[in-house]
Amino acid sequence: MSDSLLEVSALTIRGEGVTIAPVDFSLARGGRLTLLGETGSGKSLIAQAIMGTLPKGLSARGELTIEGDGFAAAEGAARRALWGRRLALLPQEPWHALDPTMRAGAQVAESHRYLRGLGRRRAREAALHDLAGLGLAGAEARLPGELSGGMAQRVAFAAASAGGAPIVIADEPTKGLDAPRRDAVVKLLAGTPERGGALLTITHDIEVARRLGGEVIVLRQGRVVERGPAEQLLSAPRSDYTRQLLDAEPARWPAPPPPPATAEEPVVEARGLAKWRGGRELFCDLDLSLRPGEIVGVVGPSGCGKSTLGDLLLGLAERDCGEIWRAPGQRLAFQKLYQDPPAAFSPHWTLARLLEDLVRRHRLDRDAIAPLMARLGLDPALLARRPGEISGGELQRFAILRVLLMEPRFLFADEPTSRLDPITQRDTLALLVELARERHCAVMLVSHDPALIERVCDQRLVLGGEEAERVPEDLAALAV
Amino acid sequence: MDAISSRRFPALAGGLGRVLLPRLFQAGLVAWLVGTLTFVLTRTLPGDMAYRIAAGRYGHDMVNSAAAEAVRAELALDQPALLAYLHWLGDLLRLDLGNSLVSGEPVIHELSHQLGHSLGLAMVAVLLSLLLGPPLGLAAGLRPGGWWDRVSEGLASLLRALPPFALGLLLILLFSVSLGWLPAAGHGRTAHFVLPALTLALALAAVSSRVARNAMVEVSGSAYYAFSRTKGLGERLSFLRHGLRNAAVPIVAYLGVQFVYLIEGVVVVETLFAWPGIGHALVHAIVARDVPMIQGTALVMGLMFVALNTGVDLLCHGLDPRRRQS
Repeated sequence: MSDSLLEVSALTIRGEGVTIAPVDFSLARGGRLTLLGETGSGKSLIAQAIMGTLPKGLSARGELTIEGDGFAAAEGAARRALWGRRLALLPQEPWHALDPTMRAGAQVAESHRYLRGLGRRRAREAALHDLAGLGLAGAEARLPGELSGGMAQRVAFAAASAGGAPIVIADEPTKGLDAPRRDAVVKLLAGTPERGGALLTITHDIEVARRLGGEVIVLRQGRVVERGPAEQLLSAPRSDYTRQLLDAEPARWPAPPPPPATAEEPVVEARGLAKWRGGRELFCDLDLSLRPGEIVGVVGPSGCGKSTLGDLLLGLAERDCGEIWRAPGQRLAFQKLYQDPPAAFSPHWTLARLLEDLVRRHRLDRDAIAPLMARLGLDPALLARRPGEISGGELQRFAILRVLLMEPRFLFADEPTSRLDPITQRDTLALLVELARERHCAVMLVSHDPALIERVCDQRLVLGGEEAERVPEDLAALAV
Repeated sequence: MDAISSRRFPALAGGLGRVLLPRLFQAGLVAWLVGTLTFVLTRTLPGDMAYRIAAGRYGHDMVNSAAAEAVRAELALDQPALLAYLHWLGDLLRLDLGNSLVSGEPVIHELSHQLGHSLGLAMVAVLLSLLLGPPLGLAAGLRPGGWWDRVSEGLASLLRALPPFALGLLLILLFSVSLGWLPAAGHGRTAHFVLPALTLALALAAVSSRVARNAMVEVSGSAYYAFSRTKGLGERLSFLRHGLRNAAVPIVAYLGVQFVYLIEGVVVVETLFAWPGIGHALVHAIVARDVPMIQGTALVMGLMFVALNTGVDLLCHGLDPRRRQS
């Protein structure tokens, strides 16, 4: 077992309502392991337990062997000395993981300088070399706010791996990235085992697991459901849960009903729309038009202006250029569905009271509630509960109900299912599309998942796509 | 037009100009508003102005209605208010602040004298508060909820809740009356600086320590701070390279707000410690109804506020590279 880089035996995590049942795995040189599971399955906690960064209130047990040295999982602080040198953690949201006030080059150079002990100038040269190898030549003087999501991910990768750690842990490395950028990150990660390192990836994206290969462990609510080689597990799953998870992948969704052949006037139209933010152009010269019942998808990495576009169309933000035309009629016909359902409800009142307030405020039809609830599969007993006391999927369906009561003609749905697990996501979106068609409501659906948009929408709009394909083919040239 | 001006004045069209030009405009506005307000306020004060001025000149015992009438005639106090206001505004445009009604000296001459003393005191107070507040706050912020965090929160609330005169009196009672270490009032030696500067600095430090504490809590809870640590930089380097600069931005920015307290505090503290500064002069001028002096002092204080805030802006500009992007 001399070439084993990381061995985890009987790792358990407990505390604050979380239990991760014992997990064992081992990663040899060139090994790759993917932990696959939905949000809340505890997969990120495993990464934190290995690093020794578990939040307060959670404790780990079990044994870790890192390059032949044994560690007790409970003593997280003991592994701090390994950070960057033997264990590298690629952060979840690279944009937030980079110091907003420090230029990209300096953030990579400091790893070379302080971890490898290079002089100031040689560290800078090494950083420039790393960045150039990642297709980021010329980006060293930029601040993180001026980088795209994909570029920030590569800068964070360079900064995390500059110390030369053989074990790389990537926690949801493709969160919020579109398909080409996701594939580029996967390629980047795959370089670690190719150079004789070991890669532990945590993801909910089945496509990432498929592309990385190696071993896959499927987790659900802290338990190992199934494990095995990627090709085998992902093509012939043995457990029901894995099968459901695979079926919930947007690419496997049933084809949506065809768009209504309508000659009706558009509900909202925009010509030559442009918006700037912080000296950066979000989009310019954008033309779009939505007819009743039509579903338009918007994709792009986080920060590319998807939500801003919706706010412009709804009249909540000012455009910098161009024209927006909204169908005349009542003001309430333009509505928004929010990303995080608990944040969109007042937490202290029952749902019955919240709906009642809405009906009274806008003089809506009270009798419309019961049939809609039946359509959305919401049990009337839920009305007596508060928003925090029902599941995220149910609450988001209540949010859809609440919006539909206003009889919208245009609905801007801002990543309405990104906080839901894949299975609930599929069901919720199918309902939303069905109801929108039925009620002749135009929907603009935002998502960071292009496969989902392709499956659900009649039209597709890609934002922030210019700098996507700048990743070089030969990533093996990257210096470790 | 933008393109032309940016070619001709690159520095002004860039980040710096966006800091300085609005401040320049603000300075003009402040000068006019402060002058007008003090004019209106002194005119509406109860009591006969001529009597008060005569009392200021000759002493309370020597004033009679003849002396007051003489003053009234000499200073043309019975002319319509609007005319006097326009006179003053015209003088201001020529940068002439007029003469003191009491001493007859040019206001600008008296002010330049007193302003130096006040600035000295204010500067020492701010430096002292920066030495005390932010380091203690950062220490509390590194361990939020710890014993030092709670103790410093209690202390800060207490110090900020005490009005400056009460705090000053407490310090005098402790260090001058009981312990006899420091002079209670006066001016001239370094020891005289300690108590008035400390009175101002303690309340300033109380607030900036809390701002620093919250800034540090936010920074140390941020994803980039966590990344810096897992990258392998360690606690000390993470703090020095990623903690300090990010936490400093809100601390410095909040200083601008605190200058309101500083300027208000200067008036009270100078009076309390008999410090011959501009605040002391303002109080005397109000008692004596020395309108040009009041206007001049208030004007200088208003402009000082603008100048200090400009300094804060420039400092933030230097600290935070995001602000330098055009």
